[in-house]
Amino acid sequence: MKKLIIFSFLLAFMGCSDLVDFTEVENPNLSEASVVGQLNSSTIWLSGIERQLSLLINEIVINAEIASDNYTNDQTFFNQFLDGLSIIAQDDDIADLQFDLHRLREMAVFGKVEVGPNDENYSTDTEAEYNYFEGLAYMYAGMYFTGLPAEAGGAPLTDAANYAQAITLFDAAIALNPLPEYYAAKARVHYLLGNKAEAVAAATAATDASADFLRAATFDEQEDPDNVMEDALYERGTFDDLQPLPTLDFLDPKYSFNTAQEDDPVYYMKAEEAWLIQIEAAIVDGDFGTARTIMSALLDLVNSRPARSIDDSIEGRTERDIGSRPDSACVVVNGREGLVLDRNEGNVSIPNVSGTSLTQEDIDGMTMTDPALELLYRTRQEIFIAEGMRLVDMGVKFVISETEQLQNDNVSQGTVGTEAQIPSFIADVADQLDAITFDKGTCTATTVINLNEILVFNKDDKAVLPFN
Amino acid sequence: MKKISLLLAMMILSIGSIIAQRNITGTVIDSDGEPLIGASIIVKGTSTGTVTDVDGNYSLQVTGDNNVLVISYTGFSSQEVSLGASNVVDVTLEEGLALTEIVVSGQGSGIQRKRLSTQVDVIDAEAIDRLPANQIDQLLQSNAPGAQVRLSSGQPGTAAIIRTRGPISAASSATPVIIIDGIRVDNLNSNPELGINSGGADISALADIPVESIEKIEYIKGGAATTLYGADAANGVIQIITKKGRPGQQSAFFETRFGNIQAEDKWLRFDRTGEAIFEPGFSQEYKAGLSGGTEKFSYNVIGSMYKDDGFNDLNEQIRRSFNFGLTSNMSDKLTYTGSFSYTGFEYNLDYNANTSFSRFSAAEGGAFGNLDEFSDEDWDVLKQDLRDRGALTDITQRVNRLVASNKFTYNILPNLSANLTVGIENRNSRQQEIGTNAFQIQVGSIAPGTTDQAYMNRSVRNVFTTSSDLNLRHEAKYNEFDFITIAGGNFFRTNDNQELLEGSQGVDGTSSVNNFSTKTGEDFALQNANYGIYFLENIGWRDLLFLEFGGRFDQNTSAGEDVGFQFLPKVGLTYNISDHDFYANSGISNILNSLRVRANYGEATNFAEPFSQDRTFVLESFLGGPAFRFDNPGNRDLKSERVRTFEAGIDLGFFDYRLNLEATYYDATTVDALFTPDNIPSSGQLAQVTNIGEISNTGWEFAMRANIIRSGKHDLNINASYNYNENIVESSGGAAPFNVGGFLVIGTWVQEGESLGFLRGTKAVENPDGTFEFEQNAFLGNSFAPHFGSFGLNYSYGKFNFFATADYQFGGTNVDLSLLLRYIRGVETEGVVPEEIANRPFFDLVQYFTDDSDFVKVRNIGASYDFGSLLTDKLKNVRLGINMTNPFNWTAADFDPETTGSGVGNQNGFASGGFAYGTESLPRIIMGSLKLSF
Repeated sequence: MKKLIIFSFLLAFMGCSDLVDFTEVENPNLSEASVVGQLNSSTIWLSGIERQLSLLINEIVINAEIASDNYTNDQTFFNQFLDGLSIIAQDDDIADLQFDLHRLREMAVFGKVEVGPNDENYSTDTEAEYNYFEGLAYMYAGMYFTGLPAEAGGAPLTDAANYAQAITLFDAAIALNPLPEYYAAKARVHYLLGNKAEAVAAATAATDASADFLRAATFDEQEDPDNVMEDALYERGTFDDLQPLPTLDFLDPKYSFNTAQEDDPVYYMKAEEAWLIQIEAAIVDGDFGTARTIMSALLDLVNSRPARSIDDSIEGRTERDIGSRPDSACVVVNGREGLVLDRNEGNVSIPNVSGTSLTQEDIDGMTMTDPALELLYRTRQEIFIAEGMRLVDMGVKFVISETEQLQNDNVSQGTVGTEAQIPSFIADVADQLDAITFDKGTCTATTVINLNEILVFNKDDKAVLPFN
Repeated sequence: MKKISLLLAMMILSIGSIIAQRNITGTVIDSDGEPLIGASIIVKGTSTGTVTDVDGNYSLQVTGDNNVLVISYTGFSSQEVSLGASNVVDVTLEEGLALTEIVVSGQGSGIQRKRLSTQVDVIDAEAIDRLPANQIDQLLQSNAPGAQVRLSSGQPGTAAIIRTRGPISAASSATPVIIIDGIRVDNLNSNPELGINSGGADISALADIPVESIEKIEYIKGGAATTLYGADAANGVIQIITKKGRPGQQSAFFETRFGNIQAEDKWLRFDRTGEAIFEPGFSQEYKAGLSGGTEKFSYNVIGSMYKDDGFNDLNEQIRRSFNFGLTSNMSDKLTYTGSFSYTGFEYNLDYNANTSFSRFSAAEGGAFGNLDEFSDEDWDVLKQDLRDRGALTDITQRVNRLVASNKFTYNILPNLSANLTVGIENRNSRQQEIGTNAFQIQVGSIAPGTTDQAYMNRSVRNVFTTSSDLNLRHEAKYNEFDFITIAGGNFFRTNDNQELLEGSQGVDGTSSVNNFSTKTGEDFALQNANYGIYFLENIGWRDLLFLEFGGRFDQNTSAGEDVGFQFLPKVGLTYNISDHDFYANSGISNILNSLRVRANYGEATNFAEPFSQDRTFVLESFLGGPAFRFDNPGNRDLKSERVRTFEAGIDLGFFDYRLNLEATYYDATTVDALFTPDNIPSSGQLAQVTNIGEISNTGWEFAMRANIIRSGKHDLNINASYNYNENIVESSGGAAPFNVGGFLVIGTWVQEGESLGFLRGTKAVENPDGTFEFEQNAFLGNSFAPHFGSFGLNYSYGKFNFFATADYQFGGTNVDLSLLLRYIRGVETEGVVPEEIANRPFFDLVQYFTDDSDFVKVRNIGASYDFGSLLTDKLKNVRLGINMTNPFNWTAADFDPETTGSGVGNQNGFASGGFAYGTESLPRIIMGSLKLSF
């Protein structure tokens, strides 16, 4: 009986212990088991990768555009050091860019290795996308850094090695699903490597697949990430005020308010680029006819791209010293008319995929070789404005962040990637990249330097004009 | 027959007890013959007792004829008086170090202060009652000599950054644990995770800690003093002990206070900012209480209501509270002590600091241009616009807070007792922001005529905390030694559940999310349980030398899977040299009558945010579809950071305790400090909190109390404190410097070799030839002021009392963000930066927007007079008082260095301050009070 009583007490206590177990806690968030091994998880993971690409594009575009001659920024909380081409390892924005780039790679790899193979509905299209996004991570690594690790804490790969990885992955994607943007990505990498034949082949394959394809990084106005460049250019706070070079005024703002749900996309891979590669190869080869023909086709394509009519009357061109920058249609920039818009005379029409001041007359009158290259690079600058490409055309590359350097045993000062790449001819004009003179009375504006001319003049430098 | 026998026996016992009962009366005075009001008279070994009235008189029923009375009064040495034949016992108390005072915080059970090697700041009921403050941080300010309490905004519901021995952690706001009668309460000193962002000055749970019924506050500063509390106590512990009533005649009071609230406009850049936004406010408070009891049962009930309409034209706050405390001697051996408090707090906020909706920061930051240059006509238009914005602003907060504490003490043997404390706290808060179409049109964010873009955000936070402590206390004597042994275990558990409801695309005229065409929601949850067992041995030798040692085995559910119980040791030594007979007989004791040295070592911890040890993923909504991403990387080895503190000090009493000095040196090292640096970028993983840091805090604490005048009815006491803290991040574990506040251009950072949260930005260095070089990521100052302290005086002449409190800091640096914004906007450019570099981007010029955060601020000046009994005997005292809050201040810079609302971090974040920006300073209040005691 006594034993029975004790047993009953023990039983009651054990039952009771559940009631008084105050140490039980439950994390309501998703564990790995909720992601890996679930039906359709590969598709949701792919959406996550797309989202990550948008985060990366945000970091690339805002910083690369400020660092380039496209935009000046001396009175906003966006990065001002980069505006003066001061590139140091302690720059937080560079660290963020590097992080987002690696994160894109890690997400793609996790998709390929863990999520996809454990999802019954994993498709070859999705697998192709995983390869494509992983390839993009390597491609951007090569575009913006002279060296970056390919794994957590790994030794930095040179930009060429990163490009090689990218090509392998784009080929894998193409083998699974030959989309034009996969070819275009491959073409860009070959272009940047200076592999003219391979670049033209891939670019041609891209335009053959689609003469006007577009691949966009999309943005969620409501849930984030929204388009940061759009914030900077249009949906501004009271003092954010990026100013374009007056020669590019008519292309600004490339991004403007779309809907309360979706922000303007960034078309980071588009047919124009594949055409431009083919044109540049033709110019370098001395094949003027082909160059002019493709250039005309490119002009048609650009002119067929949509433009948005927007109310940009809030744009004062500078709020700090109103009237100090060109803001009227009368302004002639570097002797050219029509580049500056009057934003207080009703809506303005701004192309939001590609725009250019290039005309058929320019094409017809194009002379070889350097003037053609200069015209081409001016056109590249216009078509790629607010996409982060101009900095690449300038041959400037960032530096491995201090955060990586301190925690990565394979990186020390002097290791590849730890020095910024700024071609000497760019460093010489770093203070003049965004500089202009403006005479309001005569409606005349002049850029202090013609960077396209400088680039072409230095075309033999391996950092720029890769086909030369 | 049996019943009759029983009845007879009871009658005999009753008669016996009547025969043995005596009525003891007397007066308690100080050495100058002044009556001590509210002195405590307790029959030793019982809970029977009473307090003196306004004339120092008391009356107490005692039984038996061998009783001893213990008479005590805060700030005076207690006395024990054995009852003789006389029924009149008059007592004169000497001022002293109050070493006989019982301290409960950090000891598991009450223990005499003289036996402790750790310092305790005690704020008594008298000091609390005379202050008009109704927030715990305001009570502590300039009353806790070792605390640095910086009130970050004049907006209602906001609270102070509180620190004592420097910033010990990069993973917490440094806010001490707050305990009410043994029960942990919510001390979140920042906006909740899902809280509504009104700009920068974040609301705080400290603002609604019940303070209406406080017997005393004990503040212990971490280290050995807090070892037994275990996790989360490294920032110190503030224990509030509420009133429970005392045996004796029933007493009651009614008190009312009326105040005039004026904005502090001293630091405004534009007087017109104040003209548009400020208007004088009025405060009213009503408080009533009832207290009394018998030997078996005593009680205290206090209710209060407070309302003011602030100095900002749209602010209003209402506070209601009810407190009930009781003590019941349930049997000879069992005593129950319970308390219950309710606080209801409602207020509304203005937008401030870092939001374009903020009227104040927009005006002061130059968003409208130079207000001084506006024509009167233009200014009238803008002024009306700002007022209209205010009228349409709708951000409200409602809090309901309940705390219940139950304590059972069972005297198993005369020298062995068991204590059980069990209680709960439940705090519900609801923030709501409604952005009507009319408001958005007024601030220019939507086009006039829009009617379908209203939005509404509602954030609800519910925090439920359960606390329990069970310990045994044993006392023993052996020859010249006596022993107090305490052993026990405790736990607390906190559930923090938050929900955010958002409605958009709505029409005006509703505060229900149901009426918005788009509705979204978010939630957030934290759960944490902490538990452990502890022991403490306090050995006394001839009541002169005390050795204490103990420890705690601590476990926390926020630790990683691979982490077990953590052992936290403590040891201390106290030597009351002046209690030696030889000392007392020596001539020196006439001058230095008290000499005490003490030293201790102890460890205390802070735990990481719950669930931060887990690897997690997130499903984001991306363009209407689901999208996975990596979230927290996880850390199986995550454990609490540990603060190892060594301290040593000396306490001196001169001239019959008329001059008392305390000096303490401390050396506190935070090992396994919780740092959250950016992860190595090549991992692609988010930052993970990890035990990689080491932080050192060393410093000195000096406190002085002096009785300058003690003559006739005159009594003048002054007090002052000075504290110095040196803080350095000894190691960041190889991690890169990481940002903990501010901006890219100038922020507060954690970096090896610098102070925690130092200001980092570009420094312009002038060369001899007049050219400049620009050093990026340079040290621009300490966001914490390393020198701080308080001072005050208390003068009484008979029944008249006058007091003043003040505090100060120096050695720190703040960023004047409003000036920076005015500069960027071209509103204020003259003389701000050297002309030679005026054309540089402002990223290179940020040092010119920093300035010293030195200040001296007089917090309170008050006077009161006790009229004694008026009109009727039942009215025992009438007290009239007047109080001025924040009357005078001096600052080194042109801004208020306290208003660092925008520097207070997110939930469980680091609070560095460092940025004076965009929110109003605390107002000046002149308040009159009338208290009737019955």
